[in-house]
Amino acid sequence: MPGTIRSVSLVSVVLLVCLSSRRTSVGAAPICTNGQVGCHVLSLDNLFDRVIQHSARMHGISSDLHSEFEQYFLPSKNQIGRVGRICHTSTIITPNGKENAQRMAREQLTEVILKLLIAWRDPLWHFHQSMAHHHDFNNFSSNKALEMNDMVHELRQGVEKVAEKMQVLGIISNSVTSLASPEVLLPSDSADWRLMKDYDLLYCFRRDSNKVQNYLKILKCRIVPDHGC
Amino acid sequence: MGCGAMMKSVMEVLLLLMLIFTAHAKEKSYSPPEKPTQTRCRSPEKETFTCWWEPGSDGGLPTTYALYYCKENSETVYECPDYHTAGENSCFFNKNDTSIWVNYNISVVATNALGRAFSDPVDIDVVYIVEPNPPEKLTVAVMEDKGWPFLLVSWEPPHKADTRSGWITLIYELRVRLEEEDDWEMHHAGQQKMFNIFSLRSGGKYLVEVRCKPDHGFWSEWSSTSYVNVPDYFHREKSMWILVALFSAFIFLILTWLLHMNSHSLKHCILPPVPGPKIKGFDKQLLKNGNSDEIFSALVVPNFPPASTSKYEEMLVEYLEVYVPEEPELMLESKDLLDGCLKSENSRSDSDSGRGSCDSHTLLMDKCGGTKEEERQTNRESSLMETQGWKEEAINHDTSGRVKTWPSVYSPLPQYGSNPLDKQSSLETAKQHSLSTSSFLTQPGTEDALGPSYTDFCLSNKQNHLHPQMLAHRELQTRSDVNISNIGRKRSPASEYVEVQRVNKEDMVLLQPVVSRCGHIEGCPNLPKGEDYSKVKGVDCDNRLLLQREGTGEDVCPCVDQETNGEGGNCYTSSTVSTTQKPTACMYTAMPLQGETALTLNGYVDSATMGNMPSC
Repeated sequence: MPGTIRSVSLVSVVLLVCLSSRRTSVGAAPICTNGQVGCHVLSLDNLFDRVIQHSARMHGISSDLHSEFEQYFLPSKNQIGRVGRICHTSTIITPNGKENAQRMAREQLTEVILKLLIAWRDPLWHFHQSMAHHHDFNNFSSNKALEMNDMVHELRQGVEKVAEKMQVLGIISNSVTSLASPEVLLPSDSADWRLMKDYDLLYCFRRDSNKVQNYLKILKCRIVPDHGC
Repeated sequence: MGCGAMMKSVMEVLLLLMLIFTAHAKEKSYSPPEKPTQTRCRSPEKETFTCWWEPGSDGGLPTTYALYYCKENSETVYECPDYHTAGENSCFFNKNDTSIWVNYNISVVATNALGRAFSDPVDIDVVYIVEPNPPEKLTVAVMEDKGWPFLLVSWEPPHKADTRSGWITLIYELRVRLEEEDDWEMHHAGQQKMFNIFSLRSGGKYLVEVRCKPDHGFWSEWSSTSYVNVPDYFHREKSMWILVALFSAFIFLILTWLLHMNSHSLKHCILPPVPGPKIKGFDKQLLKNGNSDEIFSALVVPNFPPASTSKYEEMLVEYLEVYVPEEPELMLESKDLLDGCLKSENSRSDSDSGRGSCDSHTLLMDKCGGTKEEERQTNRESSLMETQGWKEEAINHDTSGRVKTWPSVYSPLPQYGSNPLDKQSSLETAKQHSLSTSSFLTQPGTEDALGPSYTDFCLSNKQNHLHPQMLAHRELQTRSDVNISNIGRKRSPASEYVEVQRVNKEDMVLLQPVVSRCGHIEGCPNLPKGEDYSKVKGVDCDNRLLLQREGTGEDVCPCVDQETNGEGGNCYTSSTVSTTQKPTACMYTAMPLQGETALTLNGYVDSATMGNMPSC
C-alpha cells in the first residue's frame, strides 16, 4: 500500500510539473524578434487581446477599491472641495467621445494610452504606501492597491510591446515618442497628485483605466478587425 | 465660483422676479411647487444620454420645470437642450452635448408663480450609465444533432450600439422556456452573437428572449419574444418507458397474487416449522422448567437396552425345522415379512432403505410387485408345468397380507477353488443360507435329485438393511421327503442368512444365522466371501444332503435378467469366471426353465425356473 501511494504521488507530481511547465511556457512566451528560431510568436490580435484583458482587470480592481472607499470614507455630498477635484492627468488631452477617438490617429492614440499609464506609475505607488501605513483599511484593500500598482507596470510594458509590434508591422509610424523616453510624457505639474486625497485619486484612476481600456479596444478594432469587434 | 454657486445666484434672481409677479396674484391657497426628484439618467450607446425627473406637486399653479447642468471643472451652466425628444419630464443630451469621462452636475428646477423648487443635484459620468437597447433580429431555428433536437439562436446587437468599432463591448444573455411553463432557463452567451440550446426536454412551443449589457453598465430590456416549435422527438422514448413500466407493474401484480395464493406453502418452504420433540415420555413443560434430571428420568425405559448378552444369543437361530407338506401351497406367515414387503413398493433392486429381502423381485410373495409378479409366476408356473412337470409351489398372495415364499435351501459347494477362503465342503461346515423363520420345502414331483425344491427363506428385516444383491442363494437339490422343520422360530433380525452349521443325525439341518454378504447383481453374482458354501449334489435316500467337494463340469451360472419376464436363459460363463463365482449365487427375476439346461446344472436346483428367487 505505501508503495503504491508513493508511486501515485510521484506520478502526480511529475504530471503537475509537466502541466505547469507547459502552461508557463505558453504564458511566458517571449515575443521573439525576427529571425529567432523556435520562438512562439504571438500575433497582433493575440497581443491586443491580452492587453485588453489586462486593462479590463485593472479597471475592475480600481472600481472595487473606489466603491470600498465610498463605504468607508464617504465624502459628504455637500463638500465644496469636492467640486474642485482635478485629476492630475487632466492635462493629457484625451478624446472624450467616439468621434474624437476615431478621428485620432493610431499613433496618437497609442501615445495617449502610454502617457496615461506612465502618469499613474508614481501616484499609485505612493497610494499603496499610504494604504499600507494607514491601518484604517483592511488588508484586502492594501493588497488590491499593490496589485493595481503592479498591473499598471505590466500593462504599460504590454502596450509598449504592442506598439513595437505595430511599428514592426508598419501599421504605425515610428513617431511614438513614449517608447524612447517615457519621462517626456510625464505631465509638467506632476506634483499635483500629491495633493490629491486618496478618494479623489481612486476616482481619477478608475476613470483613466476605463479610458485606457476603451482606447485599446478602439485601436484593436481599427487595426485588427473581425476578431470579436 | 463653482457651477453650483453660479446656478444658485441665477435662481435667486429668478425668484425675485417671480415674487414681484406673484405679488399681484390672487389670494388663493396656492403654494410653491414641491421639489422635483431626479429619477435617472441613461445612455443607450455611450454617445447620448437622457435624464428624467419626477415632478412634485405643483401647488395648484402651472409649474414649469427646467434642467440645468454644468460640466466638471467648468463654471458654465447650461440648460437642457432638448426637453421633448425623450418625452415628458426628460432632458435629452445629443452627441454634441455629451462628453464621456466628464462629470456632469445636473439639477432640475420646478417653478410656479409662487416659488421654485430645486431638486437634488446629481453627478453622473456617462460611461457608467449606459443601458443599451435590447438586441435585435433574434432568430431561433431547430437543428438536429444525432437524432436529438437543439435550438440555434442568433441575434444582432442593438443598432445604435457601436460594437464594431470597439466603442462598446456588449455581453449577452438569453432565456428559454416552454409555453406552458413559468420558469425561464437562463443562458449566458458572453460576447458571441449566437448560441446553441441543447437542454430541450420535450417537444412543444418554446419562447426565447435575449438581452445585453455593456461591460460597465446596466442590462437592457429583454428583446421581443421569438417562438419556435420543436417537434416531438421525445415522445417515442417516453411511450416506450411507459410501456415498460406498465408491463413490469403487471408482472409485479401477478407475482404478488401468486405469492398470496401460495403464502402458506411458501411459509412452510422458507420457514419450516420447527419440529417438536416427539419422544415418548418427554414432557416439554419439564424441559421448560429446566430440571434436566426429571426429564431424563422420564425417558428411561426399564430393562432397556437388554443387558445380558444371552438375549442376543437367543435371537440367534440355531436350527430350523423344515418340513415339506403335501400341499403344494406353502403358507408362510410372516408379519414382518409383510411389513417389510409392504413397505417396499415395486422396488426391484435397491433395498438400502431398510426393506427386507421381501421387496426383492425374486420373492414371489412380494405383494408389492403386483400383477407383474403374478404374471411372472403364472408364466413360470405354466412353463414349468409344461416342461418339467414339476410341482411348483404356488405362491398365493394372500390378500389378507400373508405372504408365501418359495423356500429354497441352498448349500454352497466347497468347490470354488478360487475362493481362497474356504474349501470346506463338509456338511458340518457347509452353511446354508436361509432367511426365514419358517420355511417349507415343496415336494418335488420327481424323485430326481434335480427336482426343484427349494426353500426360500425370507427373513423379515425391517430393522436391517438388506441388500438383495447380498443374498446369495444356492440351489439345493432336495428330496421330496426332506423334512426341514423349523424349530424355534426365531427371528434373527440382524442377519439375513442362516448358516447351516451341520446336519445332525436326525436329518436336521442346523442353521446358524450369518451376516449376509452378497455379490453383485449382474452376471453371476459371487457368493460373497462365501467360504463356507458348498454345493449340494443331491439328497440321498437317507435324507442327507450330499455336498460336492469340487465343482464339476461346466459351471453354469444362470444369468440374471431382472427385468425380463419371459425371457432369459442360462448363460454360460467362462470357466474362469465360474470358478470365481459360486454358481449357486445367482439372482433371477424370472426365468423359464429351459428343459434340460436346468438339469445340467450341477447340483443346483434352479429355483429361478420355479419362480422368483430371493435375491440379495
